[in-house]
Amino acid sequence: MELSAQLAPFVKATIKNLKDMLGFEVNTGGMELEPDEFTSQGYTVLVGFTGGWKGRLILDMPGETAIKMASAMTGEPYSSAGDEEVLLSGAELGNIIGGNAITEINNSQPGLQIRLTPPSVFTGMGMTMFNARVNSSSLVVNTDVGPVKVNVAVEGAQ
Amino acid sequence: MRGIKADGTAITVMAVDDSPVSRKMIKKALEPEGFQVIAEAGNGKQAVELYASVKADVITMDVTMPVMDGLEAASAIKAVNPGQPIIMLSAMGDEDIINDARRRGINDICSKPFKPDEIIQKILRIL
Repeated sequence: MELSAQLAPFVKATIKNLKDMLGFEVNTGGMELEPDEFTSQGYTVLVGFTGGWKGRLILDMPGETAIKMASAMTGEPYSSAGDEEVLLSGAELGNIIGGNAITEINNSQPGLQIRLTPPSVFTGMGMTMFNARVNSSSLVVNTDVGPVKVNVAVEGAQ
Repeated sequence: MRGIKADGTAITVMAVDDSPVSRKMIKKALEPEGFQVIAEAGNGKQAVELYASVKADVITMDVTMPVMDGLEAASAIKAVNPGQPIIMLSAMGDEDIINDARRRGINDICSKPFKPDEIIQKILRIL
């Protein structure tokens, strides 16, 4: 499976951080390319980027996965995906994954100077993600605590 | 306990990061080794203001923060005390940012996500 040049650094950074930072098992064999429109699994992190590329990264996962992710980051137990620290953990995870991916892109293409915008986190089942004026591509990374969808949209990308 | 100095006191840390979760992760990494996080700031401006009254042995400084970023804050603190050890701690580590950090006198750079042992070793190396 060949990933687009836009999606690949973000998938790589997602897998690295889920494994190395959070200690999750990642089943890369279960990765699947997804259509660019999708319905939220319940917990969504959005990080924009600007500079040489304009677009955004979405990490979408079930609320239970977000709770386990937050617990792995802080060492605290949580009961709800809407807990403030679970929301803050998702924002930080998005910032780290986005930052790692952007660093790789900036270093491989000097002059782009892509920078991240502050992350946002949404909770709620069934939100439809729709992109106007940009194409996006998605890939699901399966972990032992649930599926994490990585969706990247870049203005002008095919 | 690598966070305890020869005189028996703790190595003190100011954690500057706009993410409370990230500050919690810094404390989780350092405090079991005896380091003491004596001050926290949520942006560069707060860090500079806090630095007037709180002196820590080392400052961990995020880069991308609202109001004042970590690079500007590091410059302001180094202008007051050029000898203040500062470690940049950021998910953004491209060459432009690293070169800028070095020009501003930041002592070392640790990329997020960090492993506890990695940040501890960097702190001990610059003190």
